Amino acid sequence: MPDVYTPDWYESVKEAINASVATLKDVPSDSFTIAVEIVGDGVSPYVADGKVLRFLISLEGGQCAWYREIEEDDPSVKLDYRFTGPASAFDAIAAAQADPIDAALAGTIKVRGDMRFLMRQAQMVQVLLEAYSKGVETTWPSGQPPYDGKGAS
Amino acid sequence: MPKTTYDAIIIGAGHNGLTLGSYLARSGLEVLVLERRHEEGGGLCSEEVTQPGFVHNMHANYHTFVDMAPPVRDLDVRGHGIEYVRPEVQMASIFDDGQALTIHTDQAKTLASMARFNEEDAETFRRLYDEAHGFVDLLLGTLMYQPPMSVKELTKALATFGVEDRSEFLSVKLRRESINQFLDRHFTDPRIKAHLAFHGAVCSYTNDVKGLAIGYPLLVGKIDNWHLCLGGSHRLAHALWRDLAQHGGVMWSDAEVAKVLVDGNRAVGVRLSDGTEFEARKLVASTVSVEQTLLEFIDPGTIPDDLAQDVKTKIQHKDWTLFSVHLALDALPQYEAAAFDPDVDRAWVVNLGVDSPARLDADWEKIRRGQLVEPQPNAAVNSLYDPTDAPEGYYTGLLRQFAPFALADGGEGAWDEMGRWYGPKCIDAWRRYAPNLTDDHIVDWSVFTPHDIARKLPNMVRGDWMMGEISLDNMLDERPLPELGQYRTPVEGLYMAGSTQHPHGFITFGPGYNALQVIADDLGIEKWWARI
Repeated sequence: MPDVYTPDWYESVKEAINASVATLKDVPSDSFTIAVEIVGDGVSPYVADGKVLRFLISLEGGQCAWYREIEEDDPSVKLDYRFTGPASAFDAIAAAQADPIDAALAGTIKVRGDMRFLMRQAQMVQVLLEAYSKGVETTWPSGQPPYDGKGAS
Repeated sequence: MPKTTYDAIIIGAGHNGLTLGSYLARSGLEVLVLERRHEEGGGLCSEEVTQPGFVHNMHANYHTFVDMAPPVRDLDVRGHGIEYVRPEVQMASIFDDGQALTIHTDQAKTLASMARFNEEDAETFRRLYDEAHGFVDLLLGTLMYQPPMSVKELTKALATFGVEDRSEFLSVKLRRESINQFLDRHFTDPRIKAHLAFHGAVCSYTNDVKGLAIGYPLLVGKIDNWHLCLGGSHRLAHALWRDLAQHGGVMWSDAEVAKVLVDGNRAVGVRLSDGTEFEARKLVASTVSVEQTLLEFIDPGTIPDDLAQDVKTKIQHKDWTLFSVHLALDALPQYEAAAFDPDVDRAWVVNLGVDSPARLDADWEKIRRGQLVEPQPNAAVNSLYDPTDAPEGYYTGLLRQFAPFALADGGEGAWDEMGRWYGPKCIDAWRRYAPNLTDDHIVDWSVFTPHDIARKLPNMVRGDWMMGEISLDNMLDERPLPELGQYRTPVEGLYMAGSTQHPHGFITFGPGYNALQVIADDLGIEKWWARI
């Protein structure tokens, strides 16, 4: 079982997503570039308070083609979506303790981009989120939310 | 010899036309915006109609999408010299028993005010507000600032995401409910319901119309985001015009369009009523009414007969409009209800004497029959928060009364006489709640009738300040007609970009912004504004 936010974990999430989407019919062939910003909030011990873990993810036909961690926002990359939220919220989702749709509805995780596609492909979005949330057995070296009483690193 | 060829010609210099023009100019297109009136702005119209030095907003007074609408950021609206203020006490309702309910920018104060009427309702409102505030960004991005999806697509997605199970207030059944039904389902106290229904009505979401509950959570999400444009709403139009001009765009005033020139099936320019012609290399966009655009500006036979027939018979306009009284005052209203809640004297907008949604319903029934109702206007005193809109020691006032466009007795033409009678009635109604507003404190007053609205701004057909009814079958991609719901027309290169389109009127910037997305797709313009 990979530790959360490690290369092995990222790879496992990618495989989980791709395996889940492969079961779907009528997946659109479109390509999307997504930025995910996990903001250290002083609660999660995995991202230092104020630090931002940034990822670029490329989805092609619903499959994760590639991903990479980046230090700074790269204005040369044309993004289709951006997901931004506090690390503790992302942790809770990855630990299957919180629901990503609830987090978006509550505004905890902000979503930017053309919502029409997300709405029209609601089933695929559900599968992607489910795979992220529940598709990988994750190890939490500093405890999983609520972090076994451990504070932020 | 003035330049006569542009890439894009936009008809109407209201906020949607200027917004679209500015984005296109910033994208490198040569843009001409043509305005029939002597100045830009459309509904962003501020005039000294009572006395010199008193600036009155003739139409748009409430700017509720500030910092929510992408153009405010993209076009650096604030950088062009306008200033907004968000009044601390946004709104109030004063009831006949002398009690008052106040809506504040501080949620705790709003809840405390509601709790004086009903604690359970206050707690319900807290949950509704918190939920709506959470998803307001998502809803705006999904519903307001994108070319529209269909109600069917939206409800299907909501079902797939299981929103109904996750949300106390969002539900697919809202599309079958009126705001009254929504309020009855969640609230108990008639005065709290009256205030919330009034809030919907002021936003043009009439509380008794079936299906409008679908928009109500979004209204609550911005219930405390009402902004006042300092110095008058027209300053926003100036700011947009400055942005257009700084990026090479041109605005011509006193330029009444008579024809859209069509070659084959393509819009290639416009002709003004004085015969001047302008050529459009890429597009013509109209922000005026559908009727003007498709029945007057283009020759018969240019669009399919069945569409022309639908424009004649199926465009839905609001079945009520607004009668306004603008006042110059030398005293601020001192409400008797301040004994119950002192904050009511600082409320920007006050809803007078509507104790229950049933009272509003009774008014709608009469108004739809063309009858005047016993005035229960809402009163706004901009000077409470804008010291620049009147000379020192003086204040402006605005009374708005829901009213029919055509009076049952005499039609819209009867308003010229009736307005002079009805204006004092509205002032009397205000005075019942603020007795200090005696005649000697009213320096001057002037009425602006529903008929005046239509005469001043002909695109507001029948005084329809939303430029199209707000109803379930006239929203999203059905607005104004299914064939026109995506901002394109059957004439290639001719777009609809005004408030006739989704989302609707009000200072949303939405129609112009959404038409821009479609135009950019069609012309291959890079969407530099779509900074994700």
